Amino acid sequence: MSDYRSMWQDLGMDLENHDLLCQVLPTAVGDVFLSQKNRPKAMDFWDLVISEVHGIRPAELVKAQQEGRKVFGTFCVYVPDEVIIAANGIVTGLCGGSQFWVPDGEKVLPKSTCPLVKASVGARLGRTCPFFRIADMYVGETTCDAKKKAYEILGEDVPMYVMDVPQMKRPQDIVRWKDEIAAFAKRVEEFTGNTITPQKLAEAIKVINERRKALKRVFDCRKSECLPISGRDALLMMQISFFDDPVRCAKMCNRLADELEQRIKDGVSVAEAGAKRILVTGTPLAVPNWKLHQIIETSGAVVVCEEMCTGNRYFENLVDETQETLEGQFMALAERYMKTNCACFTPNKGRIDDIMRMVKEYHVDGVIDCNLKFCCLYDTEKYQVSRALKEAGVPVLSLETDYADTDAEQLRTRVGAFVEMISAK
Amino acid sequence: MPSSQLSYYILFSNYLQGLALHDILDGEDIPNRIAPVPRCVHGGELSCGMSLMIEPRWIERVKDSIARHNAEHLNIVSLEGQNNPHRDQYC
Repeated sequence: MSDYRSMWQDLGMDLENHDLLCQVLPTAVGDVFLSQKNRPKAMDFWDLVISEVHGIRPAELVKAQQEGRKVFGTFCVYVPDEVIIAANGIVTGLCGGSQFWVPDGEKVLPKSTCPLVKASVGARLGRTCPFFRIADMYVGETTCDAKKKAYEILGEDVPMYVMDVPQMKRPQDIVRWKDEIAAFAKRVEEFTGNTITPQKLAEAIKVINERRKALKRVFDCRKSECLPISGRDALLMMQISFFDDPVRCAKMCNRLADELEQRIKDGVSVAEAGAKRILVTGTPLAVPNWKLHQIIETSGAVVVCEEMCTGNRYFENLVDETQETLEGQFMALAERYMKTNCACFTPNKGRIDDIMRMVKEYHVDGVIDCNLKFCCLYDTEKYQVSRALKEAGVPVLSLETDYADTDAEQLRTRVGAFVEMISAK
Repeated sequence: MPSSQLSYYILFSNYLQGLALHDILDGEDIPNRIAPVPRCVHGGELSCGMSLMIEPRWIERVKDSIARHNAEHLNIVSLEGQNNPHRDQYC
């Protein structure tokens, strides 16, 4: 086995506690991914990444830091990766997806906080994740109340920059977001010591657009009635894309898409005949949160798409590549990022439109709308999501869960009943 | 997959060795999947790592390929019950 202990020690990690997480990850990976039949061969890249998830990529980041580059940890798809890359920085997504980190988060946060926020804080303060130790600066955003207050706590332990995301999407709010991006760019320049020029930002925009196109190719394959990849595998690909090198990510996703397109031509499907096609929407599924997908896909259904930040929102809508000034490029970034339909915005009819569109595009039989406990925004928005789907005659199941295993049986019962119901239609 | 199913795991000193054998086996059309090393194999050591997971019906061909190519690896172990899709124990 590769030995990363000295790297983890140098990062100031709590090796004993970290080892407890290392103990449970192989079993979860085996149960969720390796128990599947007929997985695409190209998934071997993501199998490698998850097998060495706290080794290979963290070692790359440490090496980059030794070469003078800065690593920025982010928590939201609103933060423009392009700006960081234009300053020769590296972006790594930091949202915590494991129950393992929640108790350390609960030492400083109320229990009635969403598990994603608790896990993110816990991963840092508990010193049990190398990515959280490596990032030179964290970039937060004012999306939800839990995050806003959590960033105040994290900011006492690590350099933190918070972007002020607008609450609405009027023309003046898009201009405001453009100004936020410009201010963020200034801070990134100061922190990295590198100037962001229009040429560098144009290159960065192209790199991230290429990643978006590659991810979209994989998702487009999931629209096929002959389904070449499971929802679990697509989710793993998506989760890892948040912290992998964007150029390599695009290359690997294109390689996967090549195989999936061939599978469709050859009639190779991972779904059993009659398996119901499910769209999952709601709060994001940060790595290694695989519980819902696993339950759905072992209950007679397949997940064909995700309307969420760890789904379509990460790659839909390209940034305009024709702008030649920084002002124009910042506006192009703002226009693209403000198309992301998060429940933190009011109103958020765009999300309903996205769900309805994806139901058609992906030939969806039913929708599962799932929020993490204590996420008031997505929980409240369930009413409008359900109403729109019911009016359109689309079956919908609303769920709430957290990261613990304790509700898995209940979820299986509810998902199983939902799948039976839509199968009987 | 029944939880009692047997699988073989090839262990390595580092992931480069693992990828080298992965490529060899792929080249000879021998099915193999990259997998985290099951914890019970190296229990107590403080690191993560990749292994290659092999179905029992291919193991003799794998051993033959390893011998012919003098492929670097640490060990080959067999384990039951590693991949249970209904266990519902996440991390």
